[in-house]
Amino acid sequence: MTVKIRFFARFRELLGTDIMTEVAPGTMFTPLITSIARNNPAGYAAVFDEKGAFHEFVILMKNGKRVELSDAAKTPVIDGDEIAVFPPVAGG
Amino acid sequence: MFSERELERYKRQVMLFGEEGQERLKKAHIFVAGAGGLGSPISIYLAVAGVGTITIVDMDVVDQTNLNRQILHFDRDVGRKKTASAEEKLRELNPDITINAIDVKIEESNAAKLVGNADGIVDAMDNYPTRYLLNDVAITKEIPLFHGGIRGFYGQATTIIPGITPCLKCIFPRAPPKEVFPVVGVTPGIIGTIQANEVIKYLLGSGELLTNRLFIWDGMETHAEELCVERNPSCKACSGMTTTKQARKKK
Repeated sequence: MTVKIRFFARFRELLGTDIMTEVAPGTMFTPLITSIARNNPAGYAAVFDEKGAFHEFVILMKNGKRVELSDAAKTPVIDGDEIAVFPPVAGG
Repeated sequence: MFSERELERYKRQVMLFGEEGQERLKKAHIFVAGAGGLGSPISIYLAVAGVGTITIVDMDVVDQTNLNRQILHFDRDVGRKKTASAEEKLRELNPDITINAIDVKIEESNAAKLVGNADGIVDAMDNYPTRYLLNDVAITKEIPLFHGGIRGFYGQATTIIPGITPCLKCIFPRAPPKEVFPVVGVTPGIIGTIQANEVIKYLLGSGELLTNRLFIWDGMETHAEELCVERNPSCKACSGMTTTKQARKKK
């Protein structure tokens, strides 16, 4: 199964974007993003807190639909999914 | 009614939307929250378009580090109040409109009063706590909130019509931590101009607004895209509003 992960804004600077990755059936949202983010310590720290949970301000979407942070660990990804991970952009 | 000078000033856009459209702009009152990176292009373009009354609020003093992006303020303005600097430039850009420049911090206690009877709020803030206050005021008054945010080469914008589209808290329920953000002036230039364009369309009542969509700009890739956004039925800010409610109609 192949899924596409898209990071935005600061996450994109640190982790890249449009990452196509092979996943095993039954892979959940959180471990998938965790494994990608681990490629860059600063990127990981931007997305996750020290306990390995998403920072509370992170926005997750799957195929254009919001995934609540509280559901991410139990939300599976399937072949062809497009996942978006982004922070609110705050400057003005 | 327009003076001869006004008719000349607006001639090229009256070709687009007629004197009736220009009259809509003239009768409108828009509240711009912030006279910084976003507030500069927003207020400049609303002023030259002929939005009749612009209230612009900021509490800061012009700093040298502002000048790479806050194009309302010039080198000579360093140390002046941003509101004084903004008022001066906007009056010079268009002496036929009214500028209310208010030097105050937007807080829960004064936000609704500051917005007053404005037809819309433009978010040109640099922090989410104040944005949430503006979001609440927009919901209470049933007027649109034109959101924008920037960082580095990245920006986002959306147009919020309370009761119809997701509100800011539906989209971004929790604020990111405060930071001194990096930015190059073209980014607020692009996002602020999009916000001003939204205001103009809203006031004219024409075109498709940037509603239910989060516009995302990547200046490094010169790539724009949008994500669909939806109302959150359990949103703490707007879930009490029914979808049958309409935002206050354009004039």
